[in-house]
Amino acid sequence: MHIHRLERIWLIFGISMLFLFLLVLGVGTFVWGMAPPHSGNHHSFDPTKVEEHAPFDKPGLKKIGENHYEAVMTAYVFSYAPDVIEIPAGATVDFIVTSKDVVHGFQIPGTNVNMMVLPGEVTEISHTFDKPGEYLILCNEYCGAYHEVMQARVIVT
Amino acid sequence: MAELERVVKKQEKLQHQETGLKGTFVSVMIVGGFIAACWLFAFIVFVIRNGG
Repeated sequence: MHIHRLERIWLIFGISMLFLFLLVLGVGTFVWGMAPPHSGNHHSFDPTKVEEHAPFDKPGLKKIGENHYEAVMTAYVFSYAPDVIEIPAGATVDFIVTSKDVVHGFQIPGTNVNMMVLPGEVTEISHTFDKPGEYLILCNEYCGAYHEVMQARVIVT
Repeated sequence: MAELERVVKKQEKLQHQETGLKGTFVSVMIVGGFIAACWLFAFIVFVIRNGG
């Protein structure tokens, strides 16, 4: 089969690009441990009885190590609980979030924290806050009439 | 004579094929470069934001 010289070049270019993307994806996943927001426990529970299930029976910020915190939060129309989290600069926070009612969003603009919060499911994500300041947590999934006021804050001192 | 005409036509056809792919090649490279640049930009943003 005759393949034109230029065709051969762009085929090599395209195939190499595909392999480069797959390589970076593989290294990111298996070497750097990057992963999308995930559920620690895959079992679903009744979203109307969130308070009865650990760890949501004791929501809030908990120190679990040297500059390492765990934020157990619930999302509901139209707020988050707790709605203010204060941490020192350089702290890593493991956000463990669930919804009491409908699907909500959980995004901190300017960071990679961006996930869906589903009723009856637990979604987790970690982030290290190196720069002091006030970070906004906002809902980016339309959840009802006052969706636009749904927010919480992370204060890094 | 007929044989000569056939050979000439064949050569013309080949030459036409050889030159006809340059524009396509440039287009493919532009699209490929755009895809690679977008991917690289998104990846760099992801890595920077991951660090806080």
